[in-house]
Amino acid sequence: MNNQQREALATRVLGMVASGDAEVLVSADESALTRFTRDTIHQNVAKHETSISLRILRDGKMGVARTNILNDEGLEACVAHASALTAFSPPDPLLGQLPVSPTVEPTPGAFDQATTDATPMYRADAVATIFKHAQAANAWCAGYVSTASYGVTIANSRGALQSFDGTDAAINTKMTAPDSTGFAEAHATNIASLDADAVGRRAARIAVDSAQPVGVAPGEWTVVLAPAAFGELLTYIGDHFSAQAFDEGSSFFGRDLGRPYFSPNLSISDDFSHPLAPSMPFDFEGQRKSRVDLVRSGIVNDIVTDSYYARKLGRTNTGHALPAPNAVGPQPLNLVVAPGKHTRDDLVHSVERGLFITRFWYIRVVDRRRAIVTGMTRDGTFLIENGSIVRGVKNMRFNVSIVDALAHCEPAREQARTGGYAYSLVVPTVRIDGFTFTSGTDF
Amino acid sequence: MTFSSAAHRALDAACSRGAHYADVRFENNRTERIEVRNGVVAAFVDTTSIGYGIRALIDGAWGFCASNDLSDAGLDLAAKRAVEIARACSSVAHTKFGAAPQTRYVDHYETPHIIDPRLIPLGKRVALLLDAERALHIEDSIGVGRAWIDLWRSEKHFYSSIGSKIEQTILQSGSGIAAMAIGDGDVQTRNFPGDNGLYQSGGWEIIERAQLLENAPRIAQEALELLRAPQTPSGITDVVLGGSQVSLQIHESCGHPAELDRVLGWEANFSGTSFLEVNQLGNLRYGSDLVSISVDNTLPLGMATCGYDDEGTKSVHSDIVRNGLLTGYEMSNDTARSIGRESNACVRAESWEFVPMIRMCNLVLAPGNTPFEELFTDIKDGIYMESNRSWSIDDRRLNFQFGCEIAWEIHNGKRGRMLKNPTYGGVTPQFWNSCDAIGDHASWVAWGTPNCGKGEPMQTGRTTQAAAPARFRNVAVGVGFNE
Repeated sequence: MNNQQREALATRVLGMVASGDAEVLVSADESALTRFTRDTIHQNVAKHETSISLRILRDGKMGVARTNILNDEGLEACVAHASALTAFSPPDPLLGQLPVSPTVEPTPGAFDQATTDATPMYRADAVATIFKHAQAANAWCAGYVSTASYGVTIANSRGALQSFDGTDAAINTKMTAPDSTGFAEAHATNIASLDADAVGRRAARIAVDSAQPVGVAPGEWTVVLAPAAFGELLTYIGDHFSAQAFDEGSSFFGRDLGRPYFSPNLSISDDFSHPLAPSMPFDFEGQRKSRVDLVRSGIVNDIVTDSYYARKLGRTNTGHALPAPNAVGPQPLNLVVAPGKHTRDDLVHSVERGLFITRFWYIRVVDRRRAIVTGMTRDGTFLIENGSIVRGVKNMRFNVSIVDALAHCEPAREQARTGGYAYSLVVPTVRIDGFTFTSGTDF
Repeated sequence: MTFSSAAHRALDAACSRGAHYADVRFENNRTERIEVRNGVVAAFVDTTSIGYGIRALIDGAWGFCASNDLSDAGLDLAAKRAVEIARACSSVAHTKFGAAPQTRYVDHYETPHIIDPRLIPLGKRVALLLDAERALHIEDSIGVGRAWIDLWRSEKHFYSSIGSKIEQTILQSGSGIAAMAIGDGDVQTRNFPGDNGLYQSGGWEIIERAQLLENAPRIAQEALELLRAPQTPSGITDVVLGGSQVSLQIHESCGHPAELDRVLGWEANFSGTSFLEVNQLGNLRYGSDLVSISVDNTLPLGMATCGYDDEGTKSVHSDIVRNGLLTGYEMSNDTARSIGRESNACVRAESWEFVPMIRMCNLVLAPGNTPFEELFTDIKDGIYMESNRSWSIDDRRLNFQFGCEIAWEIHNGKRGRMLKNPTYGGVTPQFWNSCDAIGDHASWVAWGTPNCGKGEPMQTGRTTQAAAPARFRNVAVGVGFNE
């Protein structure tokens, strides 16, 4: 469904709502993913769906209904459900009028027609390329190749109307050698930027180089985190910059903005327009997104808001609403860590004895207020001695406060996009001193 | 168009294009989420989603396509794409593992329930949560109170090219409360029941069973007391885990590693592999003699309980661990045949738009014969922990570290003062081999997990781990808080 069709659908739904403010979110997704392991493709899927989400605000009460039945009967039922739900809530005085923002221009680089048109054979060919690298390295591989296009239209009864079309493509693979593993990934909004050959080669190289890993003692280490590792760690502090957490006082900085918590070398923004990860220029209320400097030279500088929390806190609406309703409030979904002065190799050379970490796994929050998390290393952990990566080491469990870690952090010059099932962000490799490991594994 | 005629069109379209086997699963899903947060209805969402997923098998390779376009053209296009995908898959795959189900079923199933949630007026559903959430605010230091209900109703219509026709109506319900206390530079949260509410298959009776309002003041009081409670010390000690925490322990350290697709490397790049390798079947001493864990998709109240799984295999009960010995896995048709076994119906998709894959279903830790209070009696010094707060385990499911919301000292067989931030860690088989007592049937509960993640694209599964509290010896506690 193209954006004219989505806008027509949104207008049709708004016309069915008899009273109250109404907001319609139309989502149209086309996605495909080819998943492989060892020497075969074991999951190969495609999906097409168009659906709507309707929010009705009436006298400070809210109801939301969603449906993918887009005939008159389905839409009328959706309107009736949303309307009925508004009858039973006590009024919330902070539920004000829906926001109206001027129409936002598309984000450059966010849409690519070739990615939309990618075929199953394109994905299969990329998989075959990775198989060759696995075979050459005497390893086996597992990973995926995916392509997706998604269209979003948001309209409300006060006149807001925004549409966006975006694409995304990704390749990731893990290589498993007899006693070691390696990992590499690539993400882009256009498939032409993805290089399956490079991804396969890099993952195989890491697996080969980390062979015959040795155990090292837990304790405090200087670490150099590759983008995949640093990016995953950073996602566990992103929600501290939500206006909801700020309002509750559950962020690590409580309600204190303007204080230095991190290394002066560190700046973090939320930036939907970064060329490595261009995305939707408005939020799920149709509000224009602002670039927000969350951390400026180590100082906690700002938070992200939506219309509700902007009203509640008397702050500007930064355009970071998630689809309504949600339990987590506005969120920074496009984290970008500014590049540093030194190269990645400079960071490694600066370490007398430490660990280079390719990727983390299963990070979980141990203590919310102090931002203490635990997790494991995986897929390529190396010993650094006298400024050089010398050999693979067995995997280890860490327990660190992200706040403490970022206070002793030096970012590299090169940025990369990294991602997982629930996040996408742009980060450099970083050096962190005093990173605490508490136990190890036999592999 | 009926689902039956649509199914025949889709299956004919797939088979006429070369599929050796095809199945199609139509789903009509209705979900409702109500959440009250600090006195206001923060979420009140009613979702209807109808669509279908077609699987096509060509030369041992699968293709899958999902769509919500129910028109003739939509069905034809989805079938065509499923076949094209299977063909592309076949062109590069060296190993052709795909295997079609062999047994044809024509049947129907409906979740046993007492009260259809649709019969409960909307106003009553909201009022229950408003009352329960209000009861959490016993002091200003309760910064956030939450109360919620989730209701799922799924009508599934499964048809296959070998003639299976299975109609199922699945009802699942859940609810909970949470109090977040904020003060003294700390944040402490208590959830009830368990760590994320009580989730079971059934109707409104599941919501009533949770007794949210009755327990709200106690839960809030515990959250407040945790702000002032001493830190759980670090060291090696005996531990008693509450039933919901044992449920989580089973989920992470047995349920996931016993998924045979994970064992075979199908999840290696994302959710990992497993230490329960096939050559250890019948040999690995997973736990002590007391530990018997089975998969039972017929379990009353189990979130995964149904008549048939999403590739049309009839639900069964089978062993994973019997008296401490590894004896089985959670399996699909494909994976079971690769090790010379038959599927035990563990294939699920989150909904119509997702490909069916091996999912943890209902896991059952057989209850022991120790009454709950007697779990403490011969502990000189130890810790009792309840309600999960954090969970992390390595990608082979060996090295784990879990945290709970609340703990109490155990001294000379009695529970003592409250402790905050309890954590414990270990290595899976050593930990389960240190289990020397499991609570009896009176403390055994079918704990549901509504949000288990696995797969790419990520799918959220709803599982159950039926468990009682249990005792473990010489466990590392206080991990992560050594200061």
